[in-house]
Amino acid sequence: MSKFPHVQIEHLLVRYRTGPDTAHTAVDGVSVNIRRGETIGIVGESGCGKSTLARTLLGYTRPGAWVAGGHVKIDGANIFDFAPSSLRNFRGRSAAMVPQNPLSSLTPHVTLGQHLTELIAFYGKARGREVRERALDLMAAMGLPEPKALFDRYPHEISGGQRQRVVIAAALVAEPPLVVLDEPTTALDKTVETQVLDLVAGLQRQHGTTLVYVSHDLNVVRRMCRRVLVMHAGKVLEDGAIDDVFSSPRTEYARNLVAAIPRLEATRPLVSAARGRQPRLVVEDLDFSYGRKRGGLAKMLFGAGKRPPLTLTGIDLSLAPGQTVGIVGESGSGKSTLAALVAGLYAGNSGRITLDGTLLSGRAAGRDPDLRRRVQLIFQDPLSSLNPRHTVESLISRPLHIYRNMTRAQARDRCVELLAELDLPTDILSRMPRQLSGGQQQRIAIARAFAAEPDLVLCDEITSALDVTVQAQVLKLMKRLQQERGTSYLFISHDLPVVAQMSDRIMVLERGQIRDYATTTTILTGQTSDYTRRLLGAFDANRTHSTQRTIEHVA
Amino acid sequence: MTDIHFSSTPSQPWWSQLRAGRVGRALSEPVTLLGVILVTIHLLMAIFAQAISPHSVSALVGTPMQTPNVEFWLGTDQIGRDYLSRLLAGGQVALLVASCGIVIAVAVGTALGIVAGYLGGHTDEIIMRGVDTMMSVPELILIAILTLAIGSDLSSLILVVAVTYFAGVVRVVRARTVMLSTQDFVRAAELRGEKRLAIMFRELLPNLVGLLGIELAVRMSSAILKISALSFLGLGVSQPTPDWGLMVQEAMGVVYTDPWFLMLPAAALASLILGINFAVDGFTRAFGISTSEL
Repeated sequence: MSKFPHVQIEHLLVRYRTGPDTAHTAVDGVSVNIRRGETIGIVGESGCGKSTLARTLLGYTRPGAWVAGGHVKIDGANIFDFAPSSLRNFRGRSAAMVPQNPLSSLTPHVTLGQHLTELIAFYGKARGREVRERALDLMAAMGLPEPKALFDRYPHEISGGQRQRVVIAAALVAEPPLVVLDEPTTALDKTVETQVLDLVAGLQRQHGTTLVYVSHDLNVVRRMCRRVLVMHAGKVLEDGAIDDVFSSPRTEYARNLVAAIPRLEATRPLVSAARGRQPRLVVEDLDFSYGRKRGGLAKMLFGAGKRPPLTLTGIDLSLAPGQTVGIVGESGSGKSTLAALVAGLYAGNSGRITLDGTLLSGRAAGRDPDLRRRVQLIFQDPLSSLNPRHTVESLISRPLHIYRNMTRAQARDRCVELLAELDLPTDILSRMPRQLSGGQQQRIAIARAFAAEPDLVLCDEITSALDVTVQAQVLKLMKRLQQERGTSYLFISHDLPVVAQMSDRIMVLERGQIRDYATTTTILTGQTSDYTRRLLGAFDANRTHSTQRTIEHVA
Repeated sequence: MTDIHFSSTPSQPWWSQLRAGRVGRALSEPVTLLGVILVTIHLLMAIFAQAISPHSVSALVGTPMQTPNVEFWLGTDQIGRDYLSRLLAGGQVALLVASCGIVIAVAVGTALGIVAGYLGGHTDEIIMRGVDTMMSVPELILIAILTLAIGSDLSSLILVVAVTYFAGVVRVVRARTVMLSTQDFVRAAELRGEKRLAIMFRELLPNLVGLLGIELAVRMSSAILKISALSFLGLGVSQPTPDWGLMVQEAMGVVYTDPWFLMLPAAALASLILGINFAVDGFTRAFGISTSEL
């Protein structure tokens, strides 16, 4: 069509204002050419500038950011020279973007059908009665069930995966030759993610679309793209065919990034010493339901919106000292509820939970203080679980005061020790959580849990909010702490590879019931229910492009 | 995690860095600076009025209705008191009553708001329906009824302001508390077996500080206006105490012949309110209260 590459980025420099006269360089002299029909992934940790770079392809910069140098040419024309009217024309028709959060990109009071029909009419793709037909076709093509029924629904009435498909449909209305996807599946369940990715890949093949895919999830990028850019601190460190980058990363940074990907193959030596000993935690025939009164707590923990009723039925589980049981399942499967019951956030309806033979009954407030000390819960998001107005010292020393009756000076000394043990700098005692990085925050939360010297630690999605390299560090730390102290873990995650890496046994939950409960090896080799195999498949499929060679190399 | 903040100058304690940065940023905006200057001038004026004013505020020092002259810079009022002296001291009562009243209102409102928001259930219902009842009566009417009932001396006026304003504070604080209560740090505290009181005041209260600062300032400016309105209506400050609301009222009779009698106290009042509002707006923006609070 043209002698130019589809996208030419040359010496692009994007800066953000961070203060009255300070700026942060988000994209630092990046030059990349993208051919027509190419699929290219941009990976890197949060803050590396990958989203900023992707946005410039549509001529966007975030508020406070500006292009300090270089240019982005689409079909040979510099996008930053476009007049507002031609930029408007360019967006949607020539390039489209699928943003991360599908809920905030759909207008709440507008039906799904209207979202699409408005665009179809605007781009002149159909007129009159055909508009509706076309919208329904598009929804069907996105694999949305019963398009006619969904047509009149509002965004909050459908699931996250369905929403994201509507957003993708909206982006594709004008059949733009360039589509930028910014972490489109990060908010989705693994099985839903697989469906969405399949859909996008199919559409890409069908239309020969140029696809730019931004993600921190390397497995996903590997599945979607032929070429990958590894970014760090605003610079492109690696640029090449995806298998080459994965099998022989040239830079230290990329090597760490690749090595940090949790893999299903990664098995760990079992803590065999623990075998044959008395189980520490025993859960017997545990039932729980919120009943009629679905109060603020349920809404709080699991978010509002229509979810399956949150119940658990007939849960049995036993966990030996120094062992880990992993719990996996999609959101709404009840895995967090199980942790909440053991921790004592609410009380089960029937069944028994015992810790070393002592009954863990009811809510935490009613339990013996020493029992409370021995069971600690680590939450998913440290920004939420650490009081933003407390210092690190106050956060970690609180359990020391409460459980161990330490004086201020003793607690301070112990805090310093704990920080050192958790590879944290000891001079952060007077900092607030927001002044720390995500990985440091989560380690503070871990330090707070271990300050109580617990026997059982409940880990509720503790690495879900972290970058992949930070996740690897945190997992390593958790293993080390377990080996040193013989603590038992209940390790909850939607991410099967992570759970497999940590656990001796895995329990798979679906809608509050146990689908499978077996050793990690049994689960991974697929001697399980169909549901678990499907779940496993969702992760396995992420490695379609990968070769045995890759795995061997990294291992 | 590239070049993340704060690690730059570890020599300074974090808070001085933070404060200096943000207060500095707030004051670099001309409008905010103007607001701060106006408020400062008014505060100094209220504190030192008696010390700097040339004449007594209530004594009859000359013949009535003099035009500005060397002895009486702004002339004298209808009964012969020095107008400048009265103007300088005219904000004292309003400022004093508003600050004391609003501090009480915010303290009581915060306590009730946190309790309602955190405990929920029947406690919440009872407190909030009480608040709804209070809020259903128009403020000025409520103030008028209360002053008629308990009088209009200084401490009564303070009480009136406190009673009138605490309900609004309860609502705002409760809303924020409900939001904060969904955070995991509250769950964590519950799991530690913390007492409810400790959760409310150790975990929740520190997260309300920014909000309370704004509440304090915004309601202060409203209260000052209300007190002046009350004086204007003859329900608040009574003669011979100097008060802008009262002075406006006195000036009504001569508004066509000597309009500055009305304009000067009105301008003084307006500049104080404007100053407070400018300053609050600026600081809210600089501290990003709405977003970074949570």
